[in-house]
Parts: sequence; C-alpha cells; structure tokens
Amino acid sequence: MAVAIVQRQPISRVAPIAWLIAPALLLFVLFFALPFGVMAVMSFFSGNPVSNPNAVLTTRHYERFIYDSAGIYHDALWATLRIGLITTVISLLIGYPLAHWMARMQSRLGHALVLMAVIAPMLTGIVVRTFAWMTILQDKGVINTMLMQWGLIEKPLPLMYNEFGTVVALVHIYVPFMVLTLTGVIGRIDERLEQAARSLGAGRLRAFVEVTLPLSLPGILAGSLLVFALSISAYVTPSLMGGTNVLTLPMLIAQQVGTSFNPNFAGALGIILLLVSLVIVVAYNKILTRLSGEQGLA
Amino acid sequence: MISRRSALRTGAGFAAAATLAAPSILHAQTKTLKITTWGGKWGDIMKATVLPAFEKEFKCTVSADQSFPFLPKLQASPKNDPLYDVFHTNSNEQWSAVGEGLVMDKITVKEVPNVADVYPYAVSDKVVGISIFTSAIGLGYRTDKGLAKPTSWKDLADPKLAGSRGGYIIPVNSLGQCHLMMLGKVYGKGLQDLDAAYKALEALKPIKLVDFTGQMEKMLLSGEVSMGVIHDSGIYRYDGQNQPVDFAGPSEGVMALEQVLNVTPSSKVKELAFAYIDYMLRPDVQKVLAEGVWYSPSNKKVKLDAKYDAKLYTTEAKVAQLIQPDWKWYNARKEDIDARVTKLLKG
Repeated sequence: MAVAIVQRQPISRVAPIAWLIAPALLLFVLFFALPFGVMAVMSFFSGNPVSNPNAVLTTRHYERFIYDSAGIYHDALWATLRIGLITTVISLLIGYPLAHWMARMQSRLGHALVLMAVIAPMLTGIVVRTFAWMTILQDKGVINTMLMQWGLIEKPLPLMYNEFGTVVALVHIYVPFMVLTLTGVIGRIDERLEQAARSLGAGRLRAFVEVTLPLSLPGILAGSLLVFALSISAYVTPSLMGGTNVLTLPMLIAQQVGTSFNPNFAGALGIILLLVSLVIVVAYNKILTRLSGEQGLA
Repeated sequence: MISRRSALRTGAGFAAAATLAAPSILHAQTKTLKITTWGGKWGDIMKATVLPAFEKEFKCTVSADQSFPFLPKLQASPKNDPLYDVFHTNSNEQWSAVGEGLVMDKITVKEVPNVADVYPYAVSDKVVGISIFTSAIGLGYRTDKGLAKPTSWKDLADPKLAGSRGGYIIPVNSLGQCHLMMLGKVYGKGLQDLDAAYKALEALKPIKLVDFTGQMEKMLLSGEVSMGVIHDSGIYRYDGQNQPVDFAGPSEGVMALEQVLNVTPSSKVKELAFAYIDYMLRPDVQKVLAEGVWYSPSNKKVKLDAKYDAKLYTTEAKVAQLIQPDWKWYNARKEDIDARVTKLLKG
C-alpha cells in the first residue's frame, strides 16, 4: 500500500490546470509556432528546400525589401501601419464612449439590447460587410447616386478605391472588438471612485480624466492592440475597398504566394511585418505604462 | 463450450464488421484521380455530368479541387506524391509550374490520342501541357451608352471613357498581363515592347481596375464600366438575358486565354490522368462544356450549334486570329513588371 502511494506521487505533481492548458498550447504550437517557424526558415532560402535540392541559404529576400529598388515595399509597409493606426484611433474614439455607456448602464435589458446591437454586425462575414460598403461608397453607390440626383455634386465623390474607404470599412468591422474589450474593463472599475472624486470637488470631466480614464488604460491597451493587429493583417477589406490605390503588406504577401509563386519572399515580408508590429506594440505598451504610472499593463 | 446464443452473437459481429469494412475494401480497389477545376457554371457542368460519366466509364473516383489558387498548393505538396494528378490552370501558371518541375513539358498523341485532332495553337510551343479550350481576350462594352462597337484596342483610350474604362490589377490577373503585352504590340514594336506598353497604360488613367474577370462582368453589367478588357466567354454567357453588353475582337488581334490541362510527373495514376485529358478532348464532352460556358473547343471535330459556332473560334481561319503570349518570357520579368505597373497605376 505504501509502495503504491510512493509510485503515484509523481503523477499527482502534474497540476490539473496543465491538462486544461494542454489543448490551447497544442493549438498554439501546431497552428502558430510551427507554421511561423517554417515561414521564418523559408524566408532564408532561395526556394523550397524540401522539394528543390538547388535551394540555397540566402538573405536576398530581406535585401530586396530593405533596398527596395522597386520602390513599392517601404510605401506598402508605411501604408499598412498608417491604416492600422488610423483605424485603431477612430475605433477607440467611437468605441470608448459606447463602452462607457454600456458599462454604466443600470438596466439589464438595455445593456443586453446594446450588446446585441454591437455584436450583430459580427454575425455577418467580413466579405459580405465589405461588399455592403462597396455598394454604399462606389461611384454608382447609394451615397454618390443620391447626392448626384439631388444635384449637390456633378461628379461622384472619391469615397472608395482609396484609404478613406478602406478605413471606413475596417472601422466598421473592428469597432465591436474595441467595445467588447473596453466594456469588460470599464465595468470592473468601481463607480464609487468616480463618485468620491466628484464629492471632493472634481467636475464630471476631471473625475473622468483623472480617475476613470487611467483605470481603463488596460482596456484601451488591449482593445487598441487587438484592433491594430487585426487592421494591419487585414487582406480582404483593403484589397476590395482600396483598389490599386492602396497596397498593404498583406496584399503583397498574398500576391507573392498566389500569383508570383514566391513563398520565400512572402515569408520574409511576413516576418518584417511581425517585427515592425512588435516594436510598435512594445513602444505603445511602454508609453501607456508611463502614463498610468504602473509597472506594466499587458 | 460455445452456446448457440454466443455463436450467433459472434457471427453477427463478423457480419457487421465485414459490412463496415466493405466500402473501404472497395475504396482501396478504386483509383482516385485528383484534379483541379474551375467553379461557377463550369464546375456545375463538371460535377453534374462530365465527371460522373468519367467515373463510371473508368471505374474510378475523381477528387476535384475548385479552391483557387492551385499552384501554391501544388508547390507545398511533396514532389514524389503530388497533391494533384491533373493540373488545370491558365497557361501562365503552367509555365511557372514547369519551371519548378511540377508538371510535364508536353503531352503528345502517344499519351493522349485525341491530341491528333486539336488545332495547332492547343499544342504550340507557347503552351505547356495541352490547351483543351480557349477564350478570346478582347473588349467588352455597353451597348446602351452610345458607344460604337470598338474595332481597335486604341478605342479603349477614347477620352470619353475616362473613369469608365476597365482593366485589371496586372500583378494578379493574366488578362491584365495579356492586355499589357497587347499595348506593346498596338503602340510599340511588339508584345515584348514594355516601354511602349507602360506609356500606353499610363495614358489609360483614370481606369477602374479589378482582380477577377467576374468583377469586370459585374462592373459592365452595372454600368460602372462602359468598356473594359474581358474574355468573350465573360460576355457571351449573358446571352439571352437581355443585358446591354457585347464583345468585340479588335482588328489587331485577340489574346488567347487557354484552359490548359497537364499531368504531374510523379502522379501515381498517370494512365488515368492521360485518359482524363483524352476524355476532356472528346468531341461530345467538348461540346457540352463549350456550349455551357462559351469556351472555344480545341478539338477540330467538335460541331457546335449555330449560335455558338457563329461567335466562338471554331475554324482554322478564326483560330488564326488568336495571339498566344510568351509566358516564359513574361514570367521571367514578372517581378519587375509588377513593381513598375503598381507604381504606375497608383493614385
């Protein structure tokens, strides 16, 4: 009996939580770490080293991007980041007041209805929503047709096939992510803190700026990072809404894989996008940490 | 001692196991042919009639992939056990594939007897594998906008069409690539005169650019575009639907958009793959598909109904108007061309 207990001890050392984490970990390793590793390795080869014995190690894909003799890659990176940043800021400006209102709503029914309204667009696919925006913003779309019929404009306004149209559609798609993230964080902020500030003489605005806003910074950070990450990796919406006037790195990556059949350069572009994004995310985290006076937010 | 009940139970168990195993045994004996093929109307006809008839005749199953793009998937599969046995794409992708040793160079009458009956363009030195159909890339236009039927590629540059002419995002669309080469021929010294082509392309701005021919069809049908580059099939398929659109083959010639079949060198069912290509070249199969999607058949022996025969490229004289691009030449400089046209058409 004593022997049996001794033998069982090592098994019992595996915490139950480890078994619960295992599926997620396996998923992460199989569908992120492993493909990412393959992509990183491929980006340093001239061809596919598995099927092509002549494939050699090279840094030429990175050099191609860095020297940019074609004159399009740096522009594409900047356009990707610019669209991501603008989409994030606008989503935050739209999403924060809505999230604050939802979090402070007393009525459970009202909260449920607004929540449904926020989530409802997510029940429709991104492609469908983007096509809906196309029917609204294109030259013969709802807005331009109406304005022209009313005689307010003679030529269609350039609402689509540019960054404006791309950002409009992206904001519409990603605002729910911002709202849902912020609502959870703002909802957990003790309302009495704001009331205490006001009872000590702070106005509504000052109480918000000095109490609620700093306490909601973790939500702002999480929501912003989520929307930023989704925006810079978006492919369908920029390619449909941007036409030829918008060229982002995900579009270039798809082009390299799908029509230039160069997965190695596509891999290099993917790594570059990830590295640049990581630098921005770390910097953003540090700035918000400093602003909130805390040690770390994420 | 085995009781009657346990003997019956055991027997029933064996019977059940045998029943369950039977489909897998059958499956193991039935060869599977893995192919790529298009979706849409073409895919509907293939799945409804063409493929079931082939499966029945050759006692096999066909696994058809309709999710484009196919070449990256073939690239990612092991060379000695390719994802596809028969590779159906347009010509430009076949040239990329053959460069990597993913498909065969040529298919001859020895492997596919019906090759003996095809027009010369289907097996020309501009084609890797064999072209089973072709479309003609020309100009589609609205007939309700007071436009004369275009006779030249230069008609697309008419200032009246500023903002309502349509083209393609050249890096991702082979019709756009064909159009670029054609601009070199029309405005310069030939299909390979890229400088003349770039200059002519810039002169077409403002131009609405799309990724796929399906989008161009929609733009023409909605009136968003009054005249655009498109293949004849993309217009003729609306025949009888009272749509105000028509197709014109310019006098300088039309570019061939070939539907090419090829076999992967390491296919485990190569004979079946060749039999499939031979089957696709049979006059009766060609007729069904040609009339279904308005593609010009490669087999000279196909007799189409008068309506189709009048418009499609079905005689030696007609197919002589088809210009086949040199995709090997184009693919070798595709990256430079992509960068140049991306900058040129931006803004």
